[in-house]
Amino acid sequence: MSQVYNWQLGREMGYPYEAKYPDRQFAFVFNINRCIACQSCTMACKSTWTFNKGQEHMWWANVETKPYGGYPQFWDAKILQYLREADPEGQVWNGAVSDNAKSMYGQFAGKTIFEAAEKAMQPASARVLGYLPTDEEWNSPNIYEDNPVGPKGQRYRFHETGEQLPVHNTWFFYLARICNHCTYPACLAACPRQAIYKRPEDGIVLLDQSQCRGYRKCVEACPYKKSMYRGNTRVSEKCIACYPRVEGTDPETNGQPMETRCMAACIGQIRMQGLVKLSEDGSWAEDRQHPLYYLVHVAKVALPLYPQLGTSPNGYYIPPRWVPRDYLRQMFGPGVDRALERYIHPDRELLAVLQLFRRSNIIIFRYEVEEGPLIYEGTYRGKDVKIYDDTVIAFNRDGKEIFRTKVEEPLHVRPAQHQNSI
Amino acid sequence: MPYDDPDPSDPHLLIGVEVPAEEGSELEMAYVFAEEFARMGFSEQRLLALFHHPFYAGANRALKTLGEEKIRSIIGETLAVWGKFRIRVEDAPAKEDWEVPLISLGGETEQS
Repeated sequence: MSQVYNWQLGREMGYPYEAKYPDRQFAFVFNINRCIACQSCTMACKSTWTFNKGQEHMWWANVETKPYGGYPQFWDAKILQYLREADPEGQVWNGAVSDNAKSMYGQFAGKTIFEAAEKAMQPASARVLGYLPTDEEWNSPNIYEDNPVGPKGQRYRFHETGEQLPVHNTWFFYLARICNHCTYPACLAACPRQAIYKRPEDGIVLLDQSQCRGYRKCVEACPYKKSMYRGNTRVSEKCIACYPRVEGTDPETNGQPMETRCMAACIGQIRMQGLVKLSEDGSWAEDRQHPLYYLVHVAKVALPLYPQLGTSPNGYYIPPRWVPRDYLRQMFGPGVDRALERYIHPDRELLAVLQLFRRSNIIIFRYEVEEGPLIYEGTYRGKDVKIYDDTVIAFNRDGKEIFRTKVEEPLHVRPAQHQNSI
Repeated sequence: MPYDDPDPSDPHLLIGVEVPAEEGSELEMAYVFAEEFARMGFSEQRLLALFHHPFYAGANRALKTLGEEKIRSIIGETLAVWGKFRIRVEDAPAKEDWEVPLISLGGETEQS
């Protein structure tokens, strides 16, 4: 096994292949404080890529209600349990969160799914710790949606007090997920036919169906369970990151890279996707005016999903504010407290950058902030706060302005003589 | 809810398990509700009505737990910062027409 550097873990780790990185990496930030589980992303993906016979269970993009829901069911609880069994006391983080881009969340002292496989799996050639979900676990993509705790319903009968709204003494939140197009993909590591590859231009992980023989090693290995087997073609399929759009071949953008269908469909405006520059060791190269670099590495409000699994996922999440911190630390690593503190009390630049979400379908490569007037000064929740009506400007790959928007969002009103005209 | 009874021997089956929220979650939620709707232009009166409305179960629960006085102070504090929504009439930005060649849509050329 080769040694590769995983900046999310703050250390080197074992991986079956030598390190190799793309020029740019497909990455995204989801602000799940704002997700309402409308499933527009889910349906946008489904209606584009997985509407055929044999793909019924394929939800490359999905939204699940945490902590109960999951697709396939229990995907995260199961892999965490297998890891704990492989390394009973060791799955902990050491050190403190820092500003060091090579170890921002401290150092993970436990075992990744690659390292645990050496100890826990047979035969010795097994490369990744994983499991194959059962058919039942693939059955219900929306299982337990919006269902925290409650009595069992009865078929064909109304609930006797159904008109009175129940009080749920609990919490939940919506976790939107797609393939993370990991820097160290477990699916790629596990494939015995090398049918899975990572594109050198944008880091998108694709599965070559002409090479696949349907062994389902990728389904077993992917800890996020985003590789799926198709029974009627007997090969596996996975999210392709809408690569024709990312390549800029959609006529709408005249050659400019365009965000994926699930991003573009997001009515909650929780999503931003981009292509980030990587340095030689796979960590993010400094690109100060890139909005994703800013959110992940400067403001540090966006965190990877289950970084301890070791695949270096490229999906980042602004964690939900109201959820118990222990749960969030398990899901997003030790950076949670810092991220939430900054998100709840955003500074001037963060407030401006948060306005960039979903103002355009064109991928943003750079932003600039033009300073505006001070519109509020005072205290909020015991802290001094100043709000400026700054303008944030987004630029495309060629450096051309895509749009500009303000912190104090304008309301566009149609002139009276053109109302309802096209 | 699922129609089948939970299988108690399945260690993963979490249904019916209450995971208690942290101390202070109610306060955090109350601020989240107030901020969200203040940014949408709700007035103090409308915000308070929202917290009183049982249909908004989370907000209503926060009011019952924290009391009206606390909710009023949260609303006041939030509106001071985020309630400055001003309607500004602007023309929508001009947009050029798309140049979409028919061939890219799989049109005439492919069929003929």
